[in-house]
Amino acid sequence: MIEALMDFGRWFLANQFTFSILMAAIVLLGPLINGCAICILAERKLSGYIQDRKGPNRVGPWGLLQPLADGIKFILKEDYTPGHVDRPTFILAPAIAFITALLGFVIVPWAGEIHWPWMEPGQTVSTQAASLDVGFLYVLAVGSLAVYGVVLAGWSSNNKYAFYGGMRATAQMLSYEVPLGLALLAMLLIGGSLRLEVLVAEQASTGLWWVAFQPIAFIMVLIASLAEANRAPFDLAECEQELIAGFHVEYGSMKFAMFPLGEYAHMMTSAAIMTAVFFGGWHVWGLTDPADTTLFGALLKFTVFWAKIAAFIGLFMLIRWTVPRFRYDQLMRVAWKSMVPMGLGLVIGNGLLVYMGWHKLLAANLAVNAAVFVLAVIVSAMAKAPVTGRQVYMPAVQVAPGGGRSAAPRA
Amino acid sequence: MIRDEDLLILHPPELTAVERLYLPQILSGFRTTLRHMFNIKRRNRVVVQYPEQKRELRVSNYRGVHRLNKDPDGRIACVACFMCSTACPAHCIHIEAGESPWPDREKYPVKFDIDELRCIYCGMCEEACPCDAIELTPHYDIVGRTREEMIFDKEKLLDVFDRTKDAKPRKNPAVTDYGLTGGQDRSAGLPTAHPKL
Amino acid sequence: MPSIIIDGRTIQCREGIPVLRAALEAGMDIPHYCYHPGLSIVASCRLCLMEMKAPDPKTREPVWSPKLIPSCQTPVKDGMEVRFNSEGVWNNQQHVMEYYLLNHPLDCPVCDKAGECHLQDYTEDYGPATSRMVEEKHKNPKKDIGPNTLLYADRCVMCTRCVRFTREVSGDAQLAVVDRGNRAEIDVFPGEPLDNPLQGNVVDLCPVGALLDKGFLFKQRVWELRSRDSVCPGCARGCTTHIDYSETSGQIKRIRPRFNEKVNHWWMCDEGRFGWTHVHNRQRLSQPRLRDPGAERQLRWEELPALLTQRFGAAAKADRGTGTAVVLSPHLACEEAWLLAKFMRKIAPQATLVGGYLPVTGQDQKFPAGFVILSEKAPNRRGIERIITAAGGPQMRWDEFISAAGAGRFSAAYVTGGYPASWVSASAAAALARVGLLVMHDLFTSALTDAAAIVLPASTWAEREGCFVNVDGLVQAFERAIPPLEGVKTEGQFFAELAGESGLYRARKIREKMSAQLAEFGSPFVPAKEPAHAH
Repeated sequence: MIEALMDFGRWFLANQFTFSILMAAIVLLGPLINGCAICILAERKLSGYIQDRKGPNRVGPWGLLQPLADGIKFILKEDYTPGHVDRPTFILAPAIAFITALLGFVIVPWAGEIHWPWMEPGQTVSTQAASLDVGFLYVLAVGSLAVYGVVLAGWSSNNKYAFYGGMRATAQMLSYEVPLGLALLAMLLIGGSLRLEVLVAEQASTGLWWVAFQPIAFIMVLIASLAEANRAPFDLAECEQELIAGFHVEYGSMKFAMFPLGEYAHMMTSAAIMTAVFFGGWHVWGLTDPADTTLFGALLKFTVFWAKIAAFIGLFMLIRWTVPRFRYDQLMRVAWKSMVPMGLGLVIGNGLLVYMGWHKLLAANLAVNAAVFVLAVIVSAMAKAPVTGRQVYMPAVQVAPGGGRSAAPRA
Repeated sequence: MIRDEDLLILHPPELTAVERLYLPQILSGFRTTLRHMFNIKRRNRVVVQYPEQKRELRVSNYRGVHRLNKDPDGRIACVACFMCSTACPAHCIHIEAGESPWPDREKYPVKFDIDELRCIYCGMCEEACPCDAIELTPHYDIVGRTREEMIFDKEKLLDVFDRTKDAKPRKNPAVTDYGLTGGQDRSAGLPTAHPKL
Repeated sequence: MPSIIIDGRTIQCREGIPVLRAALEAGMDIPHYCYHPGLSIVASCRLCLMEMKAPDPKTREPVWSPKLIPSCQTPVKDGMEVRFNSEGVWNNQQHVMEYYLLNHPLDCPVCDKAGECHLQDYTEDYGPATSRMVEEKHKNPKKDIGPNTLLYADRCVMCTRCVRFTREVSGDAQLAVVDRGNRAEIDVFPGEPLDNPLQGNVVDLCPVGALLDKGFLFKQRVWELRSRDSVCPGCARGCTTHIDYSETSGQIKRIRPRFNEKVNHWWMCDEGRFGWTHVHNRQRLSQPRLRDPGAERQLRWEELPALLTQRFGAAAKADRGTGTAVVLSPHLACEEAWLLAKFMRKIAPQATLVGGYLPVTGQDQKFPAGFVILSEKAPNRRGIERIITAAGGPQMRWDEFISAAGAGRFSAAYVTGGYPASWVSASAAAALARVGLLVMHDLFTSALTDAAAIVLPASTWAEREGCFVNVDGLVQAFERAIPPLEGVKTEGQFFAELAGESGLYRARKIREKMSAQLAEFGSPFVPAKEPAHAH
């Protein structure tokens, strides 16, 4: 009996299909879902520290049980659906927002390959839940579905602020898909593959992370990721000052919780993609060995990968509490007038590199980046557009305090 | 009418090429936020753990929960003149007047309700009161489980007076007898000129 | 038309009026207490004094008189020149105001007059800012001088308006000045309370808070009241009134007379003044009810037009309405009666129009100054009669209708009521019990509402708008003051919906339509406006 179970266990772990299911379950249930809760606590703590506060410190030691309390609160709250909403869509929207953010995770190459002792020599299972030919195109495709969550939430709420939020989110996410796609396309040209595991393996083998090759592409992906996740400074869809809470103003209880959870899941997906494409995935010099396929080595890689993700999340949070929100026209300008031309420049430059066969050379890559950068600075210096970004130049006007003589006498 | 010469036109400063890049500015922003983030000393000095610790009031005329003062005989000092409810910008004071049971007073409030949730604590009622019957106390930590509980009635407001009168005595002595007010010291005398002159 | 010069301004004024009145009509604000256009002139308050140009006895040159002259007692004369803007006049005003405040208790916070008090206004505008009085103030306790009135003698300025009113207008001289000088005060005679039918006017007349109404005492500060122009429904006289109501509670707080040169001048009787308690009576009907045997239920106002059309249509189908009657109550406004008659004649062209029951109590009461309280206790008999006459066709008086109904002539009847007190006689109830389809539109339950097939709640005049025709045939419009009782639709709105009018009911719109047939409704009588600060 026990022997049969052990056999089943061995078969289960050594079979790629079942192991993929296990990996997806481990990653989803473990770090990802808990990660969202931890992220909320971390964000509240971090923002507190930045603003000279202490953040949540009531529940548990140092407030560590705050996510638990929040979760209980969200679940126990009355799940209220306003009477004026479009009910099916209203319920569907938060689910879409959360699920699409999770879907990107299946192609993340967490820890390379594992060789179990009972396997044939040379045989391995991949820790990647799904090794897709289309690779990160899949991430782009699934990630852009996230806009449905926001738009449907805004639309079905039947509330003008929610609707404005949804409208803004649509335009914003569609706009930032373009530079995101262009930057990743540039990386595709360098890497020669869409598979993340191939990209990671190549960075691990050369020991050079591609952020050094293509810093501009990295910054573009970073900015576009923030915008795609609707994070500050790109949270125009839910900005409190103008739209009270934008698309999720009518939501409450767990349905509302889905939106922040989705946002954090989205951040983690973006961070994972960036880690894989630009920061060598699980690779750290001297710590992780690409050839190490033991369980210990895999766990080490897994930890490294998550450490990198955590660092990105920390950066995202720091950005949120540092950078003020863009105005809507500025948002559009950044996407269409700066990032799209630069992305196109990168694609052309990298295309030339591939044509010349220099695309694995660090110096050539840096030269292309430098050229695009210099070109961008020159163009922006030549541009006559005022820095305020207003289409019509409207100088600020102030009535001079105590400005001498009184106003015209009354009739 | 604002004339052109009264206008001061402010031009936004021109940005340098580095500033236009935006990224260096963001980095300097990071420096600010990180500086605050790691300044543990300042944080510990500034933060007050509210329910356990309470900050000392820096002003004595802090405007917290209202009270209805009592005169030296322990009767409500209010004469139900409605000045406070007239002055109230939030319309949170509701008074019902009645004939007073005391011979020296004409009118007194049968009901006197203040909706503490609706109140904006501006202190206009205190300003308006002709007999200093309504005052704001420095107590701000009033809580309730229902909205109804936060509508303070006459008894509750008088009770606030009993609780706070030692810490903050009533400003002026009670004015209970209007017939005597004319005899107070009014040395100013008549102005010589008519106000219309 | 004499022309006089006041403060350098040339003013055309009416013949025979005092200079004070001329100045007031010219829009000037001259302080005064004792002068009231409806009372005799005593020139006792000394506040309206002026300077006048008169020929110098020696030089015959016109010079400003050294002595101040009461403007209320000086009739206008063509070419006279007077002034109020001199230092002498100002000094007089200031010192007189200080004098008035010597013994005044300054209890504005608890005084009901505060906000519309002339003592407050004049002290603000003309008086000194401080008082030099150092002695103890003379205190007079408040006195109960009548069933409805209190006297606060220490607030009194002895203008004697109230005394003159009881002598000249109500005619029974129930008030008098007792004692002299510093101790002078208003009082009633022992065992003779102030209880004449016009006594409420002394409260309005009093320029300060000395005379106050017991019913309004402490109820509301006057600045929180809203006011609407109305017409008293108490009798056929049709006195014009102000309804003062509280906007927050939607309740009438008091009723005051509104100047009307053709009817009531500055006065109104207590019956009308206090005759609004039924408006807030809790016994009022508030729900339309269908009282079919075995299927009694509440009705919604929306289903009523169809229901009434169907039921009356069925009743009038066979006989073109000869068995149908509409009783138009004299409490209905003309517009409402016209709309209801129009609706019924459309369904039942031969329907009988009946002038409603007319309550009459006692005799007409006449007062020395011409004020009349009529025995006919309903506001709009003349208007209903005009509308019935103009409509033509079969018509009846109330008693004829009762006997005909008792004889079984009517199978369907729409009866409107709206009387403030119970009005249904046993004979009327017995007769109308024979009517098969009885629709009762009334304020309170009665024998008739018990007998009715459909009961509709009525609204009072304060909740409606329209016009009444008074005993002299004067058409006078009144405005809506308060919102109707919850659950009640005003007659005007309901009848307009029945008659097929669209949108919100506005009496003015209906009057315009009526004026094609009844021209006098095109322009109801609007009393002259009294000048601001007139009394």
